[in-house]
Amino acid sequence: MIIIDEELCKGCHLCLFMCYKNVYAISPEINKKGVQLPFVKFEERCTKCGTCEVACPDQAITVDLPENWWMKEGNDVNFNPNFTKGKK
Amino acid sequence: MSESKQNRFLQYMREDRLPHIFCPGCGNGAIINAFLAAMEKAGMDFDNIAMVSGIGCSSRIPGYLDCDSLHTTHGRALSFATGLKTANKDLDVVVFTGDGDAASIGGNHLIHAARRNINLTVICINNNIYGMTGGQISPTSPKGSFGTTAPYGNQDTPFKLAELVAAAGATYSARWTTVQIENLVLAIKEGLENPGFSFIEVATQCPTYFGRKNKLKTPTAMAAVMKANTVFKSAAERMSAKELEGKIVVGEFANTTKDEFTENIDKISVEKSGKKTVINSAYETEL
Ligand SMILES: Cc1ncc(C[n+]2csc(CCOP(=O)(O)OP(=O)(O)O)c2C)c(N)n1
Ligand code: SF4
Ligand code: SF4
Ligand code: SF4
Ligand SMILES: [Mg+2]
Repeated sequence: MIIIDEELCKGCHLCLFMCYKNVYAISPEINKKGVQLPFVKFEERCTKCGTCEVACPDQAITVDLPENWWMKEGNDVNFNPNFTKGKK
Repeated sequence: MSESKQNRFLQYMREDRLPHIFCPGCGNGAIINAFLAAMEKAGMDFDNIAMVSGIGCSSRIPGYLDCDSLHTTHGRALSFATGLKTANKDLDVVVFTGDGDAASIGGNHLIHAARRNINLTVICINNNIYGMTGGQISPTSPKGSFGTTAPYGNQDTPFKLAELVAAAGATYSARWTTVQIENLVLAIKEGLENPGFSFIEVATQCPTYFGRKNKLKTPTAMAAVMKANTVFKSAAERMSAKELEGKIVVGEFANTTKDEFTENIDKISVEKSGKKTVINSAYETEL
């Protein structure tokens, strides 16, 4: 499950920008804090890459899905190793 | 992975102070996460970390982390950190500083800390503006950008901090943005592991002041422009100065080894007085 903490989210929508799988969408409603919360629209697309968890400035996102293939190696929870081969 | 369904970074934070004071979409929050992720990756002991910061929005970061910290005066974070590290070199000293804090008022401290190669990890949060005081132009504000002190656009050439610090003698220097979050985490990890002066410049967004003054109204608009303007160092080497105008060059600018400041002090102390510290005190045995 992907959880968005309504108390912490400030509605910057950077999670939508950062997720390469377009998992998130914006709710049309405004909550009591005046925030248009994002919501998880396509959870099945998520690869648990962990980017949105790190990119959310307000520590509002928790990605809690069954483990992925790269997580078995050395218990490393961060990022698909295929992502980090980028040139420096 | 996690048994509890709680955000993985909250365990290191002072939860009673959250949500933090940073504006919606401010990059400071993501940089906290990137630091914590890097610290986990480097296998560091959170209890052995001491954080030092100056004044500014970015310098408020240590206040939200549940570890020892020194919130010092504007521009002097590196001076305090130098004292701390020299007095207790077993501590892992991490400095959070802004572009104004590190490069204008603290500019001299920055180049000399780099020159002496003291084992600190400096995370410089470069939002191209003075955020806390309301949007004044900083030494890294791009040419032509607007701020409260540049109503007709900034005329001066900005500092390139990562290159400056590398040239001053740091053994690790890198620049990434909040959009390349994986690379940023890896760079901070390398900085933490490097036994010398490590400088990680993070180009980030201040939607409230830089954004509003420069017609980038939302955090996502700022992130999109930042992403579009990013050039990898390897590609930048083949581009002309004109092509590089307004671009953010990302990559590593220094990754070497050389003698470290506190090691040098130890060495000369042993050489000259036969002990690791030159302190003369009645409490010497307790040191
Ligand atoms: C000696 C001194 N001069 C000036 C100030 C006012 N002041 C506070 S924060 C700041 C600039 C902060 O800019 P930066 O370091 O870029 O941090 P940001 O808020 O952008 O993260 C200034 C000039 C001060 N607090 N102390
Ligand atoms: S990145 Fe975080 S704070 Fe911003 S909208 Fe998404 S969940 Fe909310
Ligand atoms: S973990 Fe990755 S794929 Fe899943 S929602 Fe977050 S950014 Fe998207
Ligand atoms: S003023 Fe700018 S730097 Fe300061 S918290 Fe707001 S967005 Fe962040
Ligand atoms: Mg600043």
